[in-house]
Amino acid sequence: MTAPRGLVDHLPKPIAVITESGAIEYHNNAFDETFGNDAAQWLKEAARAVAGERGWLHGFFVDSDDLRTIDVEIEGRVYRVDRIMRVNEGESPAVALAFEDVTREREAEQAKSDFTAQIVHDLRGPLSGIQGTLEFILSADTKLDTMYSDLLQEAQRESERMMNLINEILDFSKIKSGNFTVEQEPIRVAGVLKRAVRSLQSVAARDEIFLVSAHGRDVPQIIGSVEKLTQAVINLISNSLKFTPQKGLISVGAQIERKNDLPEAIVITVTDSGMGIKADELRTIWEKYKQSGTKSLRGGGGTGLGLYIVKQIVEAHGGEISVASVEGVGTSMVLRLPVKRAA
Amino acid sequence: MSANPIPPPARPGPDWSRLVGDSLKHHGLWHTYGKLHEARRAYPDDLSLRGYVEIIRNTIVRDFLAHPKGMQAVPKLSAEFMSNFDRFNLNAQEGYLVSLIDGRLDIQKLIILSPFDPFNTVFILAKLQAERAITVPQ
Repeated sequence: MTAPRGLVDHLPKPIAVITESGAIEYHNNAFDETFGNDAAQWLKEAARAVAGERGWLHGFFVDSDDLRTIDVEIEGRVYRVDRIMRVNEGESPAVALAFEDVTREREAEQAKSDFTAQIVHDLRGPLSGIQGTLEFILSADTKLDTMYSDLLQEAQRESERMMNLINEILDFSKIKSGNFTVEQEPIRVAGVLKRAVRSLQSVAARDEIFLVSAHGRDVPQIIGSVEKLTQAVINLISNSLKFTPQKGLISVGAQIERKNDLPEAIVITVTDSGMGIKADELRTIWEKYKQSGTKSLRGGGGTGLGLYIVKQIVEAHGGEISVASVEGVGTSMVLRLPVKRAA
Repeated sequence: MSANPIPPPARPGPDWSRLVGDSLKHHGLWHTYGKLHEARRAYPDDLSLRGYVEIIRNTIVRDFLAHPKGMQAVPKLSAEFMSNFDRFNLNAQEGYLVSLIDGRLDIQKLIILSPFDPFNTVFILAKLQAERAITVPQ
């Protein structure tokens, strides 16, 4: 320990130097007052578990120079644990950790998230009614004046956009609150892609864009959530629709990756002939609130959460996602989802 | 609570976006498509590379459908194919589609009769056209 211990001893924040096996090499007074003798027990437990929530201590010893900060639940309270520094690199490595009780902050965040989810949920009901009414008027066998027809179509487009925004906020609040779970049900991927394409076919036709499936029927099943995977593909197609000009083409494909003749993964692609994404934006498009610098052809902005949510859905299915884009030529979103087999 | 270990920094791969853009500009779609297939053998785990292949395939299909007659255009077997079809090294899918081309069926009907999905059917037709096995008169 290079910091003067006398100073650290009296800091109000609990600080301790802990080895990889969970042994406490040093702790200050605040640590003792906060955790007492129980600390030895839960530190040993954290050291024994090498993965998952219980194995949080291991994360501080991985080979990285980045400062680590994680939330840890200790005896019913939530602590933000910061790695201040590494100690004794080499034979018996240890880390200096600072603990801060953030239980109230996390509870406040949860309450905020619950509130957002409730409000968003309440907004969807009346908006669905408006959408249904507009759809009925536009599809009914009535001869509308062109001006009224155009205005109603504009209202329909904007209501779709609003519904997308609301859904994105709802999903984001679920992710933030940790309520974003993925069901474990068999998914017919070909059916998911077909449904996603069909749901946006009328929007594509209205904007004179070809939207086509590019996969056969023999796509194997995967395990996960039909609803969430459909939503991810719809998000990607919707995104493509925003940036693809008239007479453009959006294709939704699926390819099977095999290992020893058995399907190992499914690679889903949503590819458009849109304006493309600038090379320097490609790395950051998955971040939340990140919006492309390229202006949408269909007007209006979004929440900047769409692709972030897609990434969360794909990762919750144990998959990975990537993007390819050439400015002025097009963009392709690539999802790789593992095919899980029964043991 | 989350406690995931920090992953090691990923080794940066080639700048595919720029390479593909340059290749398209200087060598065209089919050359770039071939080069990307070679690249996929060298970088089998690069997920974005699949996306670049799909961008090229998508552009090829869009260009093919931009024919003035669109889906009503009628492909015909080329004179070169009729007289020297051994030169054309067709795979099974291409051979099947060629067998459907009779100079009367338009693209839309070929898509209906084809056992392959619409996108791949049009892509194969575009490839046959690029190899001059078929022509699609204006």
